[in-house]
Amino acid sequence: MGRLSIRWLLGELPKLEAEGVIDAAAADRLQAHYAEKTTGSGRRLVVAIFAVFGALLIGGGVILLLAHNWDVFDRGTRAAIALAPLLFSQVLVGWVLLKRTDSTAWREGSATLLALTVAASIALVDQTYHTGGDLESFLWRWSLLLAALPWLLNSTAVAMLFLASLTWWAGAARVEGSQVLIMWPLAAAVVPHLIQIMRSGRRGLRAANLQWAIALFLCVAVGLGIENRVPGLWIVIYVGLFALMITVGAANRRGEEGLWRRPLEVVGVVGSILLWLLLSFDEVWRNIGWDHIYSSEKFHELVWWVDVLVAVGLPLAAIAVMAFLLDRKRNRLALVWGLSVPVIAVVWPLVAATDSSWIGMVAFTLLLFIVGIVTIAVGVRHQSLGTVNLGMVVVALLVVVRFFDSEFGFIFKGFAFILVGLGFLVANILLSRSLRATDGKAQ
Amino acid sequence: MNRSLSFALFVVVALVQLAVAGGAIVKSELALRTGEAFSFRIQPVDPVDAFRGRYVAIRFAVDHAPVADGAAVRPRKYIFVPIDVDSDGYASLGRADVDRPADGAYLRLRAGVVTPDEDGNQQVWVQMPFRRFYMDEDKAPRAERAVWGGRRGQREASVSVRIRHGVGVIEELFIDDTPIHQWLAENADNR
Repeated sequence: MGRLSIRWLLGELPKLEAEGVIDAAAADRLQAHYAEKTTGSGRRLVVAIFAVFGALLIGGGVILLLAHNWDVFDRGTRAAIALAPLLFSQVLVGWVLLKRTDSTAWREGSATLLALTVAASIALVDQTYHTGGDLESFLWRWSLLLAALPWLLNSTAVAMLFLASLTWWAGAARVEGSQVLIMWPLAAAVVPHLIQIMRSGRRGLRAANLQWAIALFLCVAVGLGIENRVPGLWIVIYVGLFALMITVGAANRRGEEGLWRRPLEVVGVVGSILLWLLLSFDEVWRNIGWDHIYSSEKFHELVWWVDVLVAVGLPLAAIAVMAFLLDRKRNRLALVWGLSVPVIAVVWPLVAATDSSWIGMVAFTLLLFIVGIVTIAVGVRHQSLGTVNLGMVVVALLVVVRFFDSEFGFIFKGFAFILVGLGFLVANILLSRSLRATDGKAQ
Repeated sequence: MNRSLSFALFVVVALVQLAVAGGAIVKSELALRTGEAFSFRIQPVDPVDAFRGRYVAIRFAVDHAPVADGAAVRPRKYIFVPIDVDSDGYASLGRADVDRPADGAYLRLRAGVVTPDEDGNQQVWVQMPFRRFYMDEDKAPRAERAVWGGRRGQREASVSVRIRHGVGVIEELFIDDTPIHQWLAENADNR
């Protein structure tokens, strides 16, 4: 049972005892049983976190020491120094695999140390022999050597390091103008570890951390991984990606977990707000679509198909999740935020066909406004202050962005602002009345 | 997963990690011990690498080679470039081909853009795989200043490279024909 569920159960005990469902002795036994579990798991968690950070600092220190470049040592000594930390951490991980597999702290800590000493040793060999080429080539070799470790050692920390180095590599490679399609099959190396984690404790902290890493990786990697041969295709891809994150996150949620345990929803919502704000500007929608395809032999046929596949696949996947996986009554809000998918499906082809960028701008301004208002309304109905605030933030950001937008005249902007302001006041009055009414009923 | 199976798989991964690091050592040592020595004219600048520390980034004076007659040299594909010695004693690039030369020293390089020169002969642009000379974090910036800050303008800089079976490894960086560490020691006040 997860810590949150246990906390809930312990909170229910006095009520259950008062209502005679269980007797005092049973309540005490339950209390003692679960209190022990929660404190124990808390301590284990802290130990694991300390182990990972300790390993990170030691490994990072080794890299820094080696980066100083000790030219007092001859080549042979430096070669030996390069392999020694690697060999040491390999033996340590081997010992942990045989003797301490069940300890998260040992596993995560030693795996993190190994990941960093791999980097340190290939770095020192490169340094000693002046080989190895650019940072790009170094990060690529490091990522390849890490790929199997998250699954093999069941280590989320290494999975996060691996995704970070892979993203860094893709960024460096794109700057150099290289192809990064190979990133996707390599990134798939974290999938076995993801399955491993989801099976052992899908509500746990490690599952949440891994999902954060994957969600952030996807946000960056999708941008780096697409060739964008059809100008503006990225709009469809990102709208689809964020909608998919929100809906999958909502479908996967059970109770009222805290924000840290809902990475997909958080990244999806924050990403959606920023993306939609960007899309509420005219410039983004100019010169998009198949009429503006760049023709240059630099583009790879396969890459282009991957682009189209992703652009069609992500929005379709989001719709599939909304249609089949989401409990539509419980997750109204996720459905509202998924509205962007049908909107983009209509608006993008329309803008591309007619070259009228204002359609996109108006559509996403309206979308932001409607989603903001509906979010506030849903929050009011469920008496959830967080949701109300989220809706407020959406509308407020839209207002701020439009205030500085030079597309509209001052008179138009002035009236629009006053109208929206009045809307907020009315909503506020209605909300406080309904809250007072429910308070009255409760008493 | 079975514990002994996962341990066995980890041993395989660990050996691969050791082989990558160790293999690079062996490859470089072989080139340095048994390779043929060449001197390349260069122009250095001084950047820093997050993992590997400071280095002198090297721009080679030779950066393109004539394409051998009938050779299907395409950008991004590997080519073989014979290394010759010019009248000043510095390395120069021979005719690039897609086939490994039967004899003589050569480098295996990735082809860049292929363009015709004024006479209509095809030239292929190449980047050397060794473009960095790693140095002590204090010395690397001084090495760079040494090259650019000579009284007569730019000093003569070169690297010696050992080449064996297409693999080239930098041996030493020279300023005015003096090894860089010796040059820096002799010119300690030159800051």
